[in-house]
Amino acid sequence: MEVTQDLSFIHLIVNASLLVQLVMGLLLLVSMTSWWYIFLKMFSIRREIRLTSEFEESFWHNQNLTELYKHANNTAPRELGALERIFAAGFVEFIKLRKLHGVDAAAVMEGTRRAMRATYQREMDRLEAHLAFLASVGSVSPYIGLFGTVWGIMNAFRGLANVGQATLAHVAPGIAEALVATAMGLFAAIPAVLAYNRYAHEINRLSTRFESFTEEYSNVLQRQP
Amino acid sequence: MSAIDEPYKLSAGLLAAAVHGVFFALLYFGFNWQTLPATPMSVDLWQSLPGGAAPTPIIEQPVVEPVIEPKIEPKVEPKVEPKVEPKVVEPPKPEIALSDKSRPKPKPVETKPEKPVATASVTNGVVNGAAKAVANVSTENSSMAREAAEKAAATGRMLDEYRAKISAKIHRNIVMPPEVADDARAEFLVTLLPGGSVLSARLTRSSGNAAYDNAVERAILKSQPLPLPAEVALFNKFRELALVFKPVE
Repeated sequence: MEVTQDLSFIHLIVNASLLVQLVMGLLLLVSMTSWWYIFLKMFSIRREIRLTSEFEESFWHNQNLTELYKHANNTAPRELGALERIFAAGFVEFIKLRKLHGVDAAAVMEGTRRAMRATYQREMDRLEAHLAFLASVGSVSPYIGLFGTVWGIMNAFRGLANVGQATLAHVAPGIAEALVATAMGLFAAIPAVLAYNRYAHEINRLSTRFESFTEEYSNVLQRQP
Repeated sequence: MSAIDEPYKLSAGLLAAAVHGVFFALLYFGFNWQTLPATPMSVDLWQSLPGGAAPTPIIEQPVVEPVIEPKIEPKVEPKVEPKVEPKVVEPPKPEIALSDKSRPKPKPVETKPEKPVATASVTNGVVNGAAKAVANVSTENSSMAREAAEKAAATGRMLDEYRAKISAKIHRNIVMPPEVADDARAEFLVTLLPGGSVLSARLTRSSGNAAYDNAVERAILKSQPLPLPAEVALFNKFRELALVFKPVE
């Protein structure tokens, strides 16, 4: 009965050996960061999807490109969605090239597409930022936790060698405190993997939407008188 | 670029902290929740059990005891305390003590003609059979009182017998640690549940050798279920056992 009372969660962490404590601290930090990124990405991807839908709707309902550009120009940059920026970059480049005389229509379209491509890539990079972190947390933190556990169990058994009679009461606390490290590793890893897969999928869908919009938008520009 | 994420940074951080708070609270309370309940729960359980299961035996005893009080009392009561110790060391002793007990029994002939009839009929076959053997020798009237006395003695004998069985079983399970002094003497208060499982084994007096104390405690727990008489009524006598252990058999 006394043994079970010692198994409180706080005891487990406080009594663990220094290296196991370090591992737990590292895992806590990693887990904190990964959850932070998870929520950050969740918010920003949701926002991106909402803004993309809004802009697509206003683009297809309102064929006046100048008006759309004015709206994009008047909003603060941080309020703009990725798609709207791609649109604005393409529009600016198109107008500039149009004004230069002696540039044929094919070259104008080529320049416009390049400008849109550049903005698209920049936006994708922004959307995908930190996803690699989630991926590596997902794959590495179980191993970190396992390392802490193995070390803790090694210590528990080494301590056991000094005791004449080995009972469960001697081994159990050591193993339990070692296993806390694995638990923490898994706690960091599982949400990170789930979030990574989900966000990668959502960003992929967004990028498809951006690309198809770019194509359609190029057609619209080409038709401009 | 990073400016765009700005509005979410704080809320995301707070949410992340909240998730961890919930997780650790879960772990913390989860662990505590598992450790606490053992003692309070079991106390409640066996308060109700004997009341429902054995009402008749409880009525029996007050009838028997006043009859034999002068003779039985010295046998049953003091026996509980001092007998434990010799029994652990030398199992044969209880036998002698029991034969002592059976001798004075024929004396309580004079009193109580009626009441014991009811009680004797309730008792089990073994006790009756033993009582009848004695009863054949003397008169009808006295045989009833003697039967009652015999029954109480049988109960006492049964108590001693099972106490001896319990300590013998525990003794078999003791893994003797090295370097235990011969005069070491550990006293335990063992609380039993119906069925013979051990609710708690509390060290009331240490032998001075922690390894020996631990060995005995482990042996007590390992000996579960402890042998108990089949009669539910008798369990009350085994609910709390004060046992004494010595390394020398």
